[in-house]
Amino acid sequence: MLKVLLDRKAASLYNSVRSLTAWELGRNAAFFIVGFWMLFGLHVGFFRVLAHIHKVELIGPLLVWKLTGMTLLTTFSMVVLSSLIIALTTLFYSFDLPFLMNAPVPSRVVFIEKSIETTFFSSWMILLVLAPYVLALGRVRDLTPGFYLAFASMMPPFVVLAAAFGMAFTLGLMFLFPSSRTRDAIWLMSSCSMGVVYVLLRLSEPEKLARPDMLAVVAEYLNYLQTPTAPWMPSGWMTRALEAVAKGDFGASFWKPFSVLWGSAAAVYAALVLLADRTYAAGYSGAQESGRRHRSQDVSYYKEQEWLAGWPKAAALAVLLWKERKAFFRDVKHWSQIVLILALASVYLFSIQRLPLETPDLKNLVAFLNLGIAGFVISSLGLRFTFPSISTEGRAFWVVKAAPVGVDTLMRAKFLFTLVPMTLLSTALVLMSNHLLLADRFIATLSFVTILAMTFTLCGMGVGFGSIFPKFNIPNIHQLESSAGGFVYMAAALFYIGLTIAFEAWPVQMHFRERFGHPGPWDYLGLALCGACLVVLNVVAFALPWWLGRRHLETYEEK
Amino acid sequence: MIEFSGVVKRFGDLTAVHRLDLKVEKGEIFGFLGPNGAGKTTTVKLLTGLLRPTEGTVKLAGLDVVRDTTAAKKKMGLVPDEPFVYPKLTGVEFLRFVGDLYEVPLEAQKKRIPELLEMFELRPWGGELAETYSHGMRQKLVLAANLLHEPEVLVLDEPLVGLDPKSARLVKEIFQTLSTRGCTLFMCTHVLEIAERLCSRVGIMISGKLTALGTVSELKGGKDASRLEDVFLELTGGSEYAALLKHL
Ligand SMILES: Nc1ncnc2c1ncn2[C@@H]1O[C@H](COP(=O)(O)OP(=O)(O)OP(=O)(O)O)[C@@H](O)[C@H]1O
Ligand SMILES: [Mg+2]
Repeated sequence: MLKVLLDRKAASLYNSVRSLTAWELGRNAAFFIVGFWMLFGLHVGFFRVLAHIHKVELIGPLLVWKLTGMTLLTTFSMVVLSSLIIALTTLFYSFDLPFLMNAPVPSRVVFIEKSIETTFFSSWMILLVLAPYVLALGRVRDLTPGFYLAFASMMPPFVVLAAAFGMAFTLGLMFLFPSSRTRDAIWLMSSCSMGVVYVLLRLSEPEKLARPDMLAVVAEYLNYLQTPTAPWMPSGWMTRALEAVAKGDFGASFWKPFSVLWGSAAAVYAALVLLADRTYAAGYSGAQESGRRHRSQDVSYYKEQEWLAGWPKAAALAVLLWKERKAFFRDVKHWSQIVLILALASVYLFSIQRLPLETPDLKNLVAFLNLGIAGFVISSLGLRFTFPSISTEGRAFWVVKAAPVGVDTLMRAKFLFTLVPMTLLSTALVLMSNHLLLADRFIATLSFVTILAMTFTLCGMGVGFGSIFPKFNIPNIHQLESSAGGFVYMAAALFYIGLTIAFEAWPVQMHFRERFGHPGPWDYLGLALCGACLVVLNVVAFALPWWLGRRHLETYEEK
Repeated sequence: MIEFSGVVKRFGDLTAVHRLDLKVEKGEIFGFLGPNGAGKTTTVKLLTGLLRPTEGTVKLAGLDVVRDTTAAKKKMGLVPDEPFVYPKLTGVEFLRFVGDLYEVPLEAQKKRIPELLEMFELRPWGGELAETYSHGMRQKLVLAANLLHEPEVLVLDEPLVGLDPKSARLVKEIFQTLSTRGCTLFMCTHVLEIAERLCSRVGIMISGKLTALGTVSELKGGKDASRLEDVFLELTGGSEYAALLKHL
């Protein structure tokens, strides 16, 4: 039975590989190459950090293993958290579930298949990032292939254990709280806790490891290093086993943690399957029910109408914005994402504050380059929220399409709806960073004006590209992020950000000449030229995708 | 009121609608019949501007549906074959949304929305998200939305699918009332009894071609005894179903 289900996956994978168009093939190749270089860069970074730490006198090797233990613990908790979230979709909301649950397949088999899927999807990306670390570790310590082999042999139970915990949590949640409102609340809470974990991890300041002088008492520091990180966790077992192998010891000190890891993975997974036997079917049936909640049936004015009251022909825009707001905030998934974004923003600012920058000049330079990072944050959020916003009309798109409003009104509503929060976030990031970095007046003004323009243009690009590549009937809106259109949007956005920074580099250079006291630092012709380039860049980057998207939506015919 | 002239719609190498010429007068209830895949839904989408004709023009109250889109859409209401609505809006909010899109004054909405919900027996559900609605409830919600903005032309794609007998009866009465008030109805249906009882004229489309057009009695060819079903089966070659049954 399980084989039938897995064969189906293999067949659809084979079909989608076989039907790849040249464009898709090229895109995948591009993804692959970019991804490879990113991993390579990560490897170089890990290698340099590890090599640096390893050279610290006396305690170098200790430090390396301490760091490895922390890395594995982080990996473990990330797999737990992501499996917890992914399990919700794979186990309970997959679109093939109604079919599978009706088919004469035992629900245990369905669960096992879906648990494999969950484990895979919740771990592959994290493992991909871990690989350069392990490679760096091996290179720093001159380790043999046996080490990598031992590592690879311990990865499956490690990942299965982590994913099993996440799935057990989700199973229990869905079983205990069949009413969806309670479930939503708990879901939100768990994503909040994920945000908190994330912030805490950052606040634990792992960089302190590299600076023994920061911990006052040397003995205390040594003690800290020698106690393994969370020894009772699978990551602790794994660290011990790896440490043994690194010493060339394949004896008891390797076998013991190794077999504990495998043994407990098997036991925990078996327990999970037993748990699923009792809870999965009931939880699935609960998941079908949507929350019942009576809302007001009043017909009255809404805020958008007041805000846009003075504007001509803004009635349709107002009602579209109102609908957008209602629909957006009723989806708990959005709430939990907002929590995560706020966590991300605080980590971002915290990292800026901790940058070891000695001189005011360096700080100002970083304040300028920070624009690029802020732009990157905005465009990635755009990939998640702005780009899919047209497609979220979904199968109800006909309502607007058949109504006497142009698609450009719809686009404008989507644009305005994302513009406001994005601008708040991006200006907050830039203003706070400038404050932390003590940016001077020129840099502060320049970066503020730039981030305003950038956010405006990036939101326009998001809606524009979203209209060029809409998908109104996909089962899961997150599939859009990894679609061809999402890739094109992201590439265009990054190109735009790069060009913006490039056009501003010259004026910034003039500014620095002034700071350094060079005579006649300002080249006014150059300034005007850069300004003109920026204006043209923004107009084109905004208007071109917008215009193309509008035309595409006007003539859009469903496939 | 509605005028198709020389309309062709191709999807790749498939011609879904083949040179359609058709006029429907004001206040008519026009029934559009045909086997599955004949091109009825495609015609409806061409009429409502969801699809653009490959050739020919579609006019509504003298307005070209492609060129004067907004003006034409203002006069038109649509009940599509699959009543998808926004899952995260309540029934009342959906009506409010449609009302504002079609610029129905707030005072009229305040009065009409509760009335319409009452009429379609949706009142207890008006404050709940549409994602909890059944198919029939969504169908009725879409119908209510169309009555809210009082279109001159109402286009319906199988409006009775999924309605319970009581609602179906109600809807049929509504159609008749609308027609006496001067509203033009263009309706696709598979229920021949409706075509016979309600429609002033019917057209039968087969493989994208309009093969028969006229009042029900004209189609019957004056033979009172024969039923519309027989005429339909004769035209669509459905009388060979005995041959198909042998696969069972
Ligand atoms: N977007 C599309 N792309 C390609 N082909 C289409 C598309 N929409 C419809 N078709 C094809 O056009 C033909 C007519 O389809 P249509 O939906 O109009 O039929 P119908 O008369 O409404 O049928 P039914 O009674 O089943 O609703 C079919 O062969 C269908 O496969
Ligand atoms: Mg149809």
